[in-house]
Amino acid sequence: MSMAHVKKGFWHRFFFSLDHKDIGLQYLITTMFIAFFAGIFAMVFRIHLAYPDVSIPLFGTIGPKEYNILVTNHGLIMVLWLSMGVLLASAGNFLIPVMLGTDDMAFPKLNKLSYWFFLSSVLVLIASFFMPQKGFGGGWTLYPPLSVGDFGYNTAYKSFAGRFFSSNTFVLLAVALEFVSLLMGGINFMVTLFNKRAKGMGLLQVPMVVWMIVIASVLFMFSVGPLVAGTFMLLLDINAGTGFYDASRGGDPLLWEHLFWFFGHPEVYVILLPGLGILAEVITTNARKTLFGYNLILVLVLIAMVLSLMVWAHHQFVAGIDPRAATVFSILTIIISLPFAGVILSFLATLWKSNLRLTLPMKWALAAIVLFTILGGFTGLHLGAALFDVYAHDTSFVVAHFHYTLIPVVLFSGMAGFYHWFNKFSGRELNRFLGNLHFWLTFIFFNGFGIPLFLLGLAGQPRRYAGYDHIPYLSEGHLPLLREIATISAIILVLSQFIFVFNFIWSAFKGKKISSTNPWESTTLEWQTDSPPPHGNFEVYPVVYHGPYEYNRPDTEKDYLPQNQKL
Amino acid sequence: MNTLSISKIAWNRIPQARLAMWTLIAGEFVIFGGLIVTYLLNRMKYPGWGEMAMHTNVIAGTINTFVLLTSSFFVVKAHEAALKKNIGKIKFWIWLTILCALIFLGIKAYEYTHEIHAGFTLSSPALLAQGKHVETLYWSLYYTMTGLHGLHVVAGALALFFVMRNISKTGTHFHRIEVAGLYWHMVDIIWIFLFPLIYLIH
Amino acid sequence: MKIFPENVSDYGHQIDSLFWIITSVAGLASLIVLFLVFYPVLTRNKQRSKDEIYVKGRGFKQLKWIYLAIFIMAVADFSFLIIESDGWIKIEESLPQEEFHVAVVGKQWLWEVIYPGLDGKLYTADDIKKFNTLIVPKDAVVHIDLSAYDVLHSLFIPHARFKNDCLPGRKITRWVKFTQAGTYPMVCAEMCGIGHSRMIGKVVVLPQAKFQNELAKMYKK
Repeated sequence: MSMAHVKKGFWHRFFFSLDHKDIGLQYLITTMFIAFFAGIFAMVFRIHLAYPDVSIPLFGTIGPKEYNILVTNHGLIMVLWLSMGVLLASAGNFLIPVMLGTDDMAFPKLNKLSYWFFLSSVLVLIASFFMPQKGFGGGWTLYPPLSVGDFGYNTAYKSFAGRFFSSNTFVLLAVALEFVSLLMGGINFMVTLFNKRAKGMGLLQVPMVVWMIVIASVLFMFSVGPLVAGTFMLLLDINAGTGFYDASRGGDPLLWEHLFWFFGHPEVYVILLPGLGILAEVITTNARKTLFGYNLILVLVLIAMVLSLMVWAHHQFVAGIDPRAATVFSILTIIISLPFAGVILSFLATLWKSNLRLTLPMKWALAAIVLFTILGGFTGLHLGAALFDVYAHDTSFVVAHFHYTLIPVVLFSGMAGFYHWFNKFSGRELNRFLGNLHFWLTFIFFNGFGIPLFLLGLAGQPRRYAGYDHIPYLSEGHLPLLREIATISAIILVLSQFIFVFNFIWSAFKGKKISSTNPWESTTLEWQTDSPPPHGNFEVYPVVYHGPYEYNRPDTEKDYLPQNQKL
Repeated sequence: MNTLSISKIAWNRIPQARLAMWTLIAGEFVIFGGLIVTYLLNRMKYPGWGEMAMHTNVIAGTINTFVLLTSSFFVVKAHEAALKKNIGKIKFWIWLTILCALIFLGIKAYEYTHEIHAGFTLSSPALLAQGKHVETLYWSLYYTMTGLHGLHVVAGALALFFVMRNISKTGTHFHRIEVAGLYWHMVDIIWIFLFPLIYLIH
Repeated sequence: MKIFPENVSDYGHQIDSLFWIITSVAGLASLIVLFLVFYPVLTRNKQRSKDEIYVKGRGFKQLKWIYLAIFIMAVADFSFLIIESDGWIKIEESLPQEEFHVAVVGKQWLWEVIYPGLDGKLYTADDIKKFNTLIVPKDAVVHIDLSAYDVLHSLFIPHARFKNDCLPGRKITRWVKFTQAGTYPMVCAEMCGIGHSRMIGKVVVLPQAKFQNELAKMYKK
């Protein structure tokens, strides 16, 4: 798919193309569009925290109502739309068929339909901002009873129409539509992996990123069920007068928490796995070294996948669950750190004694590993230890923890993948200077945001607060300064992403055409076809003779052996 | 392995559409599983839960169970006909299956009508006014679970209808009977779980 | 540099020390991770031979370092669990003999504090309701019954390392023993709407004699 031809027949392609690469691009653009708002929301609410009385262009003066809506939707969009949209839907669509050496997904029409559901979910989400509540403001976790009511605004919530045409209902419908989209996509990815591999490609010769995306999709499919049921019940509570979560009616708010987090926890691994998969591809190519422990990684990920279905209540240690049950969840949560540690160690072993090339994608990948492991993964131990979580729960410490797990995996790893594969799918090069500038600014200012947040959490700062200046214990010492540093860093972090957006769009149309179809000298199948791959991906469908990471084989001349090349 | 599906550029043996359908079924089980777990948790929490089940129409429920089981048998016969590529027989058995679906929905409609007249609705405002919270929760779950199941019956019947129509028009895609049949069996199995829980537990 | 607010409860130090233990171990592991990332980067110009590089990571001999690392991590993890178990059981699963009983009910957007009144028993006719001020005796086990009127709230007393969610329709009893007199903030730690950041109360910890005086004054009114 060449961006230069995009102007010709753009709308025709938008509506009718069943090519997985076009669909992957549609997911990418749609996701970037909605994530743009999520990023702006973060900037706005952080500006409000540091400078409460400032009137922000287009948003006005932010009060607690606006603050809650901004924080809630920032979280919803980033977790549910950006992360899965980029790492599962877009990356899966771009990469899976080409890396498997086949023409397209198993079900191209289902693929297209899944995009339409995704797009409608985004439109319904946007519509939620035009309802009387101006957007849902009860936290991305949607806990009832707050999410069932109208937050005490006394808006027109009395009639059925008032409740149906509310931000509450629309946000839930948007989530439901998106889940349908991802379920369809997951089925497609899974069947494609099993049925449409190139001849000679056994399951253990499939590139790791494909495995990771498929395992993530399967994990999503198996964990989302209870939440679909729960969402259905929440919609009924809002619109039909039922009382599933209403304690005064025999219901239980904790039921939602369980149903939500039963999905919510595996969800973070649904996001993590493709990110790790991208790292596997970028690291092997840039270390000129085969992936250390391919089989081990698969086993560890499958173990982690099973464990991930058993740890959900670590989000509820102080929520009123039986403390003895909490102990079980604490144990399992601590244990789940082990398989992931094993995967990271495999990556580190791949780097060890390698012929490392410090390209731009590699910088992103290494930063992802360092930040995720040290500041994300290890702080998961703090929070998984239920005793410490009593103090840290719902403080900024948690916010810092999940930003250090999500941003390295979604942003850093996503960017590693983007800078790695851009030339393959567009046929052009990204500007390297801008790429490096983007990297360093993101790295520095992400940490400028995250580290103060850990310290603020340890000082006892609760999260989701529209302001802290009226609270003496949080306004003394260096705490206001920490908040200001976090805010300024967050602003620069968000603005730095526009460098990337500019680079992307400019290079897509005017970038220098790439001179080689395999500039990274990589072994996987996507690099053995044109840039961009033609419709159908290959002139002649490849036959595979060995594993996906044959770098520096002693019996070859070059330092890499493509998967479809005989010895 | 007696299978009708064809893979295009695939050198593997798992038939494509069947694999997709199994995956969908697994996902559906988890959704209904969530509702069933909710139901069971509430049942364990409230001793009076089972009393409401006495107001369900066990005879209607039993007939419906029999109807769905029979319809599954009809789908198996349709699959048999599909293996032989006998379009006439396929249509016969599928129409019988759809008839069963309609009977099921009709009986359900009858049950719902009576239950609504007795004041048992999705939110049961009359019961609520009397402070009967456990009872209203039971009926909320009843309508949610059977309603969602009913929607799946409709979806399954529609799927079978369109698959049958496509086969009779084009004379190909016989494997789709098996795939749609799998979905129908899932709908049946879910009912087998719902029936004792909702109708028989007191 | 002060990381935590001053600890004024008798179990608080267990939480603080757990933090430092985990942080130390994680810190050590972090140094190892940094080394394993930076050393290859810094020595990248030293080209390795193909025999050195082509290592698939199969078989025990090659994987033993990873197995060892996972094992060491498992030992560390289980140590954390054992260390925390005492504190966790103490705070959550045990309820020492009460010396003062009070109820706090979260409400959009304030804390309703219910004192037992002259009969010393909660949920009787002479209970006294106050807002946002929780007066408690020093060096005594205080039982706090947590609940909520409307939506989920969570009572958080940072200096006591105390936190538990407040659920409508449910009464959860937790305990705390303050070791130092003073006035400490109590805040809400569960999103509850537009007043979430304004539910600021105070816990007033008084030595026994002063405490009895305050209660008497309150009950007289």
